[in-house]
Amino acid sequence: MPHRLFSPERRRFLGTASLGIGGGALASLLQKDCPTVAASPRSAGTHQPGPHFPARAKRVIYLFQSGGPSQIDLFDFKPILKEREGQVVPPSVYPDERKTTMTSAQKKFSTAPNISPFRQRGKSGQWVSDLLPHLADTADDLCVVRSMQTHAINHDPAITFFLTGAEVPGRPSMGAWVSYGLGSENENLPTFLVLNSFGSIEKPQPLYNRLWGNGFLPSHHQGIMFRRFGQAVLNIDDPPGVTRATRQAMLEQLQRLNRVKLEEVGDPEIQTRISQYEMAFRMQMTVPQLLDFSDEPAHALKKYGPEVQQKGSYAHNCLVARRLVERDVRFIQLFHRGWDQHLNLNRDLPLQCSDVDQPTAALISDLKERDMLRDTLVIWGGEFGRTVYSQGDLSIPDYGRDHHPDCFTVLLAGGGVRAGLSYGATDDFSVRVTEQPMHVHDLQATILHLLGIDHERLTFRSQGRDFRLTDVHGNVVTDLLS
Amino acid sequence: MRIGLKSVLVLVCGCHTDCSPDPEVARRKRAPQNDVQVARRLDFHRDVQPVLANHCFSCHGPDKKKNEADVRLDVRESLLSLVAPGSAQQSELVTRVTSRDPDAMMPPPHTAGRLAEAELAIISRWINEGASYPRHWAFVPPVLPPLPAVADKSWPRNEIDYFILNKLEQHGLRPTRPTDRTALLRRMTLDVTGLPPTPDEVDSFVAASADDAYETRIDQCFRSDRYGEHMAESWLHASRYADSHGYQNDEGRYMHVWRDWVILAFNANQPYDRFITEQIAGDLLPQATLTQQIATGFFRNHRINIEGGVIRKEWYVENIMERVDALGTVFLGLTVSCGRCHSHKFDPISQDEFYQLFAYFNNVPEWGVGNANNPPFVSVPESWPRLSSGENQFVEPDPIKLQKNIDGAGLMVPQAGGPKTVMVMHERKSRRPTFKLTDGRYDSADRSVELQPGVPAFLQLSPDAAPRDRLELARWLTDHRHPLTARVAVNRIWQHFFGLGLVKTSEDFGTQGDPPSHPQLLDWLAVQFVRHDWDVQWIQKKILTSATYRQASAFDAATTQKDPENRLLSRGPRQRLSAFSLRDQALFVSGLLVEQLGGPPVKPYMPPKLWQGFSRATYQQEHGDSLYRRSVYTFWRRTTPPPTMIEFNAPDRETCSVRRDPSNTPQQALALMNNVTFVEASRFLAERMIRAGGDSPAEQLAFGFRLATCRQPRPPELAVLVDAHHTFEDQFENQPDRCRLLLSVGEKPRDETIDPHQHAAMTMAASLVLNLDETITKD
Repeated sequence: MPHRLFSPERRRFLGTASLGIGGGALASLLQKDCPTVAASPRSAGTHQPGPHFPARAKRVIYLFQSGGPSQIDLFDFKPILKEREGQVVPPSVYPDERKTTMTSAQKKFSTAPNISPFRQRGKSGQWVSDLLPHLADTADDLCVVRSMQTHAINHDPAITFFLTGAEVPGRPSMGAWVSYGLGSENENLPTFLVLNSFGSIEKPQPLYNRLWGNGFLPSHHQGIMFRRFGQAVLNIDDPPGVTRATRQAMLEQLQRLNRVKLEEVGDPEIQTRISQYEMAFRMQMTVPQLLDFSDEPAHALKKYGPEVQQKGSYAHNCLVARRLVERDVRFIQLFHRGWDQHLNLNRDLPLQCSDVDQPTAALISDLKERDMLRDTLVIWGGEFGRTVYSQGDLSIPDYGRDHHPDCFTVLLAGGGVRAGLSYGATDDFSVRVTEQPMHVHDLQATILHLLGIDHERLTFRSQGRDFRLTDVHGNVVTDLLS
Repeated sequence: MRIGLKSVLVLVCGCHTDCSPDPEVARRKRAPQNDVQVARRLDFHRDVQPVLANHCFSCHGPDKKKNEADVRLDVRESLLSLVAPGSAQQSELVTRVTSRDPDAMMPPPHTAGRLAEAELAIISRWINEGASYPRHWAFVPPVLPPLPAVADKSWPRNEIDYFILNKLEQHGLRPTRPTDRTALLRRMTLDVTGLPPTPDEVDSFVAASADDAYETRIDQCFRSDRYGEHMAESWLHASRYADSHGYQNDEGRYMHVWRDWVILAFNANQPYDRFITEQIAGDLLPQATLTQQIATGFFRNHRINIEGGVIRKEWYVENIMERVDALGTVFLGLTVSCGRCHSHKFDPISQDEFYQLFAYFNNVPEWGVGNANNPPFVSVPESWPRLSSGENQFVEPDPIKLQKNIDGAGLMVPQAGGPKTVMVMHERKSRRPTFKLTDGRYDSADRSVELQPGVPAFLQLSPDAAPRDRLELARWLTDHRHPLTARVAVNRIWQHFFGLGLVKTSEDFGTQGDPPSHPQLLDWLAVQFVRHDWDVQWIQKKILTSATYRQASAFDAATTQKDPENRLLSRGPRQRLSAFSLRDQALFVSGLLVEQLGGPPVKPYMPPKLWQGFSRATYQQEHGDSLYRRSVYTFWRRTTPPPTMIEFNAPDRETCSVRRDPSNTPQQALALMNNVTFVEASRFLAERMIRAGGDSPAEQLAFGFRLATCRQPRPPELAVLVDAHHTFEDQFENQPDRCRLLLSVGEKPRDETIDPHQHAAMTMAASLVLNLDETITKD
């Protein structure tokens, strides 16, 4: 209802609240029906984020596979590799490229073929490894982009680039941009939630706060973490011994005193604070219900596999993600770590796949059954791919693959992308993109486009310039749109 | 006037990396706001230059190799040669951008875009208004302005007030009433020490009749060790101090000795010129001491990458980039980092000049990657900070000794300095040559021209003497003729007390920054700051004793309409406390705070497995006193900073941050109600209330209220508290288990002599008090 944005009463209200940030926070509370209300304190009333046009996707579930899953072993099938197993990758294919110091000193760069057979799946005939049998069953729902490219070759800059649009810290994360651009559709939960899964690999790669941070956006856009250890959301539980009745009594009296103060000084920030305590109370009610799976029928739980009841497992988090989108949470950023197979590719990659295969497929089919895949965008992928050559000696079973930024695979499903599409192609060694390259900024632009946001118009002014998620790059890849 | 040859131009389709603003949005955001600016004339730098930068600079801009037809729209003379002041119609510039002739039109037809109607309108209006092209205000050295005239001569208490009142009167506004003495003392004490005054301090101040009682109290606060601990907070944010390296594995480093140096420097009221000279170049001072060497840790606070597989040359370059960024953000208030990949689009900093700044920091004997403290580092004697004169001597850091890294097949790393060391700046014997890096990439040095250290031409103070090293760079910054250093510094000081700087964009005084709300006041403060030998406390006291600062903070409906953000200062400041102050205040009023200056960082309560959840590191929570130290000493891990601090808007310290962004969220409410630190503080505040508040619950409640807010509750407020306390008593009645559970939150054992039922009920009341808007706000 954009007209409400321009109602003079509303403008004045938000305008006077704008000293703080309160204006923004208040706006995010009020904007259930008014997604265009500016949520920025520094520009409340002067800047109008999205949506810029009708959205295909209302929500996003980003299943980030941290560490760099091997495209060669999972989606980018290269039959020639088997023939050339053990032979040195020709320098014409892999010239004197930037290699990490994990392997740059290596004497030999031997061709390492896929560790498991591939098959064409579904009517679409998408190539998927046998390591992902359940996901393969959803092949006709997937849009498989095999031509992803990035700049960064080390994890930290690469993930930061993927999720903030820049390798250096300080920029808002994708979910924060979406929260800023579209606001909330839910009065009882934050707009942007983060889930971190544990998996089979011990001591996987770390994550960093900035991956769900607000950067220079107002801090209420930062992602709220659902935690595996301790309280599900930081400080959500009342202290031991304090009942809901006590909390309610305390809040009522607190609000009374805060209202006295509001009368006295008239600072709209106090009004905002009163509202935020109310929302905190509602969140305390909502989160336990959300995480209580007792209303899920047994067959629904079974679909996600045996680990679904284990708090913090990927399966558990996939079900939480589905329950969050059912409650209209806008952006869910899920992380699954452990895809960094420098060593022990043969042992660890199948473990990683078994962590994610069934739950990912269950999430997609669940959304489809509920007719929510239509307007929920699911993304699956990591920060870069892996080398065709082995890290370590191919003849020794513990070999692995090093980082490879020049081509890798990302999966999209639902949310207005073309189901069953294979997009982009790579050379015979999966070293370079040969067709339809898709850069990280292109993916970001396309995600925003699906959400009804023009990536060039979703900007925020900081340090004297208008920043955006896609920096000064990015093209919407319209071929992907359904 | 002709713009020269046809097809002069390829339109800017965005720079390689960073800096192409969306002019639509940029202009919308710069639209006159309802507070200070009223239908003013266009400002060339603010309004016009962005349009030219966006559409024209890529061919007619500072990057010489691309410059077409000798037309430079970034150069005053060249641009004005295309303009007939007063007549847009007769201006070549306008003819070109409005032309439909493919041979004449600009940008040329083969390029992507035309100027939007609104952009054309800006250019035309600017020309019609006379095409004024002054030097950007912040690049002209400040001169001491006379005090402006005011109608109400009785209001000003000092010079500041003339500037503020003059502007208020121009807008038809009046300042509000002075705040009462209790509120004033609380405001000042929180601002200066980060902690509130005690009831005794309030009583004696309210009763004091001496004229100078307030000033005396300010001086006492300045002399307190708490002063430096509080002032350090924003300096640590600015310099992105942390106890870890950042990046991937984010392992530990040992820089707390430098952090202590900052606190001690503030407590000694070190003049700002010395304060920054020692941090920039303490090691190069004549007869440098170890203490001065330690100060240079400022430029080692950047992140250091030691991910297995890093290419060390890349990170060597990145570290220096971070130093240049710190120089720009913290000292110059300029976004110099734009120059990394291309000449700055708005401010006169060419890419060559960026790398000339880079050259000052490119001569450190360092490796670029490494574990723990990276060379150069020095050992710090046990006696720090009380060094004997024998100990306080310059130390030559050990040269780099390489070894193979444990993690990463081919990576060599230098020796690692342990907890008794601190990283410092140092100069190599022979100068390492500096080259421009094409597109800012570490592996694309343009070796055709070696660049010498130097400062941007527009900031050169003498035509022939460019500063040659870090020490001369510091001398240049602190030269009284420097247009930026003092302004940037006093603006941050102002921001500390009023929430917003006179220049709102404290990190950007360039042409795209916000113009100052009170330009003359800013200049007055800057000039006086230098004249008073950069005496920080002199400026702070000037602010604290002004009538402006001493106003009540209540909003007046009519005034608020005209001054919603309080940029005109029509009322006193009112802001939620910082993350650090919030926690420190709760510890202080509950009697839990352990005051001990300096030392290694401490690890208080954190959510379970805070680090393990995301990384290979383990947070080992400490016990006892470590739980109750001031927040400035809390261990800061960059990639997983203390979550409650982040929720209350502390920056993550990955990058330099000089501005506050106070939000208001449900997570903050949850933290204040449920976080173990605040619940434990409620328990101990309750103990204090019961033991020292008086005999009746009402007296005890009033005492607790007073500890937190410094004032007595008014009868209706006390009635609410009594009512709440009754409810809590009822709810905990005959619930010994629940009482015990609540009274076990936090590690410090309770006073067992207090009845658990009474204690639990009072704990809830204390928690209510600690959650009050008034408690968490500097009012």
